[in-house]
Amino acid sequence: MRHILIFTCSCALYLAGFSQKVPVSFDRFHGFNGTENYLKEVARAYPEITELKVIGESGMGRPLSVLIISNKKTGTALDRLIELRNPRSENVKNVPPMKNHQAKPGHWICGATHGNEYTGTEVCIYIIDKLVSGYGTDSEITALVDQNAFYICPMVNPDGVFNSVEKDFSQRGNTRLADDDKDGKVNEDGYDDLDGDGRIAWFRYKDSKGNYVQDEVDPRVMVRLGEKEKTDKIRWSMIREDRDNDGDGKRGEDGEQGFDLNRNYPEGWWNDEGYQGGTGDFPTSAPEVQAMAEFLVTHPNILMAQFFHTSGGFTYRPMGVTSDATMHPKDIAMYDLILGKKYAELMGDDMPKAWMYPDSIESYKAELKKTSKNKFAIVRGYEMPETWVVSYNEKEDKRYGFGLQSDWAYQQLGMFSVTTELFNYRKDLPEYTFTGDDAWIKFQRAAIKYQEKKAGGEWFREWKSFKHPDLGEGETGGWLPQFSGNAFPGEILEKICETHWQYEKYRAGLLPHVVVKLAKGKVIDNSGGDRLIEINATIENTGQFPTQVARGADLPGNRQDVAWLIGDRDKVTFIQGMANQKLGVLAGKMPVPGYPSGKSTAEVKWLVRVKGNVPLKVAASSQKGGTSILEVTVN
Amino acid sequence: MKNQYKLRILNHFNHFNHFNHFNHFNHAYIAPLRVLLTLILVLVLTVPATAQSKLQQSAGGYHGELDFPWSWKRYYSYAEWTQMMKDVAKKYPDLAIVESIGKSQMGRDQFLITITNQKTGDHAQKPAMWVDGAIHGNEVNGVTCSLYLMWYLLTRYDYDKYVYDMVNKYTFYILPGLNVDANASYVEFPNTENNPREPYRPEDDDGDGLYDEDQTEDVDGDGELSTMYVVDPKGELKLSTDKRRFISIGDEPDYPGMRFRRFGSEGFDNDGDGLINEDDIGGPDPNRNYPYGWNLRDGNPYPMSEPVTRNAFNAMLARPNIFASFHYHNTGRLIMFSAPQAVPQPPGQQIQGQQGGYGQPRGTVQERLAEMRKTDKYAQLFDRRVAREFQHDLDVQTKIVSKGAYILKDYTPTFSGLSGQTQAASYNMLGAYSYLIELWGSPTTEADINNDNRVSDEEYMQWLDLDLTGDGWILPHQVKHPDLGEIWIGGSGKKHVGRTPPSRYIEQEADRQAHFVLYCVSQFPQVKVDDITLTPIGDGLFWADVTIKNEKTYPTASDRSKKLEKYPKDKLVLMTSDDVKILPLDGKLPFVDPTQGFRNAPKPGTGREIQLWLNGSDSQTYRYLIKKGGGKGWVEAVITSERGGKDSKRLTIDD
Repeated sequence: MRHILIFTCSCALYLAGFSQKVPVSFDRFHGFNGTENYLKEVARAYPEITELKVIGESGMGRPLSVLIISNKKTGTALDRLIELRNPRSENVKNVPPMKNHQAKPGHWICGATHGNEYTGTEVCIYIIDKLVSGYGTDSEITALVDQNAFYICPMVNPDGVFNSVEKDFSQRGNTRLADDDKDGKVNEDGYDDLDGDGRIAWFRYKDSKGNYVQDEVDPRVMVRLGEKEKTDKIRWSMIREDRDNDGDGKRGEDGEQGFDLNRNYPEGWWNDEGYQGGTGDFPTSAPEVQAMAEFLVTHPNILMAQFFHTSGGFTYRPMGVTSDATMHPKDIAMYDLILGKKYAELMGDDMPKAWMYPDSIESYKAELKKTSKNKFAIVRGYEMPETWVVSYNEKEDKRYGFGLQSDWAYQQLGMFSVTTELFNYRKDLPEYTFTGDDAWIKFQRAAIKYQEKKAGGEWFREWKSFKHPDLGEGETGGWLPQFSGNAFPGEILEKICETHWQYEKYRAGLLPHVVVKLAKGKVIDNSGGDRLIEINATIENTGQFPTQVARGADLPGNRQDVAWLIGDRDKVTFIQGMANQKLGVLAGKMPVPGYPSGKSTAEVKWLVRVKGNVPLKVAASSQKGGTSILEVTVN
Repeated sequence: MKNQYKLRILNHFNHFNHFNHFNHFNHAYIAPLRVLLTLILVLVLTVPATAQSKLQQSAGGYHGELDFPWSWKRYYSYAEWTQMMKDVAKKYPDLAIVESIGKSQMGRDQFLITITNQKTGDHAQKPAMWVDGAIHGNEVNGVTCSLYLMWYLLTRYDYDKYVYDMVNKYTFYILPGLNVDANASYVEFPNTENNPREPYRPEDDDGDGLYDEDQTEDVDGDGELSTMYVVDPKGELKLSTDKRRFISIGDEPDYPGMRFRRFGSEGFDNDGDGLINEDDIGGPDPNRNYPYGWNLRDGNPYPMSEPVTRNAFNAMLARPNIFASFHYHNTGRLIMFSAPQAVPQPPGQQIQGQQGGYGQPRGTVQERLAEMRKTDKYAQLFDRRVAREFQHDLDVQTKIVSKGAYILKDYTPTFSGLSGQTQAASYNMLGAYSYLIELWGSPTTEADINNDNRVSDEEYMQWLDLDLTGDGWILPHQVKHPDLGEIWIGGSGKKHVGRTPPSRYIEQEADRQAHFVLYCVSQFPQVKVDDITLTPIGDGLFWADVTIKNEKTYPTASDRSKKLEKYPKDKLVLMTSDDVKILPLDGKLPFVDPTQGFRNAPKPGTGREIQLWLNGSDSQTYRYLIKKGGGKGWVEAVITSERGGKDSKRLTIDD
């Protein structure tokens, strides 16, 4: 019955001109299998604009998949334009030919670096759906997909997602085969489905030393006590459904959990004493992290990056391992006053005055000097709003953590990289806002009722009597961890998806586009049979953002924008001007508050001697601004 | 153990055969006795092939060199030496295993050989020495030195007691070629002695948007990569009188003859941009790619980004029994080691540690060293302050590299850098005593005539002519270049002259290096129970003094591995017979012997099991209070160490 319905609807939509060829629903989490199937179907359905690339394997051998969305027919990579002669006899084929998408500005979006943060996976799927469905029908989306390259990786940590969604483990880190308790066995003691209902929830039992009490309003909700908090109520302990599998007196001491991938990146991995601060044996030791690192460094056309996490309802911009002092102030201005401003607007947040009236920023700095205890805010001229923050602990002037991915992408690869923490339990339940120290409890009371209506009570299990083999009498039940911490599927998830689709669409619209606007040749001498031609070209960045972050062109692996004059090598001799000339970094059109407008155009000249009537081309190749070619018109 | 007994029996019978000289003793009973003895001899000799049956009596005897013939007068291609590695391992299956630890960027295997006598214990259970060569593709001297060590250990095992004992007790992990793509290229294709150095990650060196698009090539097809010179009336160079070199015009600004300008390495303008060789093959420096002290500028794109370095480091991580490591490079004749600098100090300061303290000699480092060098020209002393917790490592390394300087004869020990280098990772992250060896160098010993300790151009040419009989030089010659017109090519050494040694010096370098490696292994810690002495106090009470020692230079754990908490402490256990009890003693109160004071006071034996660390060249005494019931009892001291082996001694207690 359902199948017929879907079929009919699909036909109707198709006939209506809507191009969603792969139906998608956000009524349940896709999980590992659902996501992989969706990616494969999209790649099959949209072969002209998508490519599914497996960039590596997880610790347990699952594919790490990236969907590349870009019009395959547009874009020309530079290596196709330049003829190479007299190669080394050894002929080592170590340089793969560039793909069209590598010659376009790139935008990286990923989710589920932490296995139990799959709201980001859903947002990635939503974004994919919007891009491929809108292509050909929506002019804005069509232009984005024609001109840019989207690299979308819904699951950075597929092992973690599988264990969290398909297996109820709620696993933050990756999976690895390790003997955590050194008993000679590997991963032998994880969670268990004690009551045989097919899900792994919680087990609560009365315990004089326990840390939980029942909520007085809804006794199904368990309230965690503070460290030294005293209470007259009955104390409970609450654990995941779990028993001692290997008879060593401990439960869950050797599960599949590996380590936190977002502490395994090369920025700030070492502590100040020269010892390990981050996770793993060395930075990028996790196969998931290495695959991403390898992909990002071999696609240096990427300028925008988004690492979706859960939860919080705000976006982190760099840095976390150090303070703002290691960022170039112009990048901070672009982050906060452009990217942050838009995000705060979308999230309906209150904006700092300095963002709205950047010309008065000096007076705001003076104000803050008197009122603020945050020395970094005083330097900036504004306190960060609620929805756009840094992870660095500015109050105590200490690092948030080690080896963070977004910090690395900005500092070492020169990307405008952000980490959005999706889902805010205080605000995202429709028609509710929860405040105060007990906001989480209030949320749970409302949420239990919500899921009774919307999900038939599937997400919160009623407490049932159960006798635990090791702990005795108690009850199984409580939140299925799959649904506490991530956005509830359905309308709540869809709203979050839509908001963040709009944000990433906005950011994609800011990407630079370097274009050869003009390429004119003037014959200044004809007498010797060969023509002496003076060539003038104008190269322009028509995009909003510059082609690199402030210090980006100096980073190893990055480069300035470059202009080539290309013609038959046997017939063209360069008199003045090398075949390729460096143009610096072309600024974007969008003004950066507090900074003078940069130059978004460059003039390039050549003087060449040309035998015969051979065509000449000017190619502008920007690493993150795309490649553009124009024939020289000679008169 | 078993084989040693058989050796003794064998020697015993050799001695017995002397009786054959005396013919008049050839009585009837001797003949059957001799048959019997021969039979026993035969039985004894039919033992596993790894028995040391061919022990040489004289240092000049045959030590197995032709059991697996290998020429040490040439360099082999990657395909050749990897095959020879597998072949030699097949010949000694009980001693050697070859495996691939992973593939390079271009799909070549990195082969590792594990050498130990598997019958005396699994390789992973023994303290190990790791050796790798040629992380820089062109520095293939490290390949030959690694191969030589491997070959030496295997072919001499049955003939040489030193090797025999070592291979039985310890493990060797040898990775002759680390950067295998570049290693293969360097030997088999025309190259200067400086390339290819790095692994083959595509890199846009000149920022023009293309990757590795303009490499060096053999322009004149002579099989060598030399230097190109262009005739230039304003050039600063001219041909030497013997027409072999390009030398500076120097004091002759009006030199009338042909003048040249140096253009660079041989190559074509592949991409037509007017420059030559501006974007050669080769990515990041692999010896800046390791995680410790890694920085983006030198080690980009990210730590362990290169398959060849990641595979090698993962292989070391998977072998936590590695106690020391050698990493081979060219060139410079240096023994480099890590010593984490605590505080930058001005030179010439008084040094701490061994040389500091009450009653110790004073003076600056230079003064102390000059004094030491009066009797030992290889003595070493280092001008560096390290944190107290790393002082013993510095002292140990000083001793080891002093012996290294002696063994290698013309090498200089010095400190190594951090910045993502292999040996920095081996020491700082794995706690292994690691050495970066810069092999070979300027032929000062061979070529310097006027005793100024340098090799001038003229001295160099004489060395080429007389020591190398003219082999190894590319004479300047004219060539037509498609992009540059008429040019000259030459005036440089061929491969295997400057950076890697020429044929006649290959074995010498390799042989000395092998001896240094073996010396270090011979100094791996070895714990022993030296002595147990009992002092009766009456009433069945005794003081039992147990002295344990490690006479080797290396401690049972490096200071660094103690900081990393790599493995558990050494354990001293005092076992007793049923009627002997160990009485409790307070561990905080030292014993004081009025005649000796605190200095060498024994430590209290606080209980049956004591955890401790034995340093290098260390001896410690633990004093237990024991009570014996009636009759004969015994105590047995057992010392076990994760890397230092184990030992025990039993003492019976008389009434």
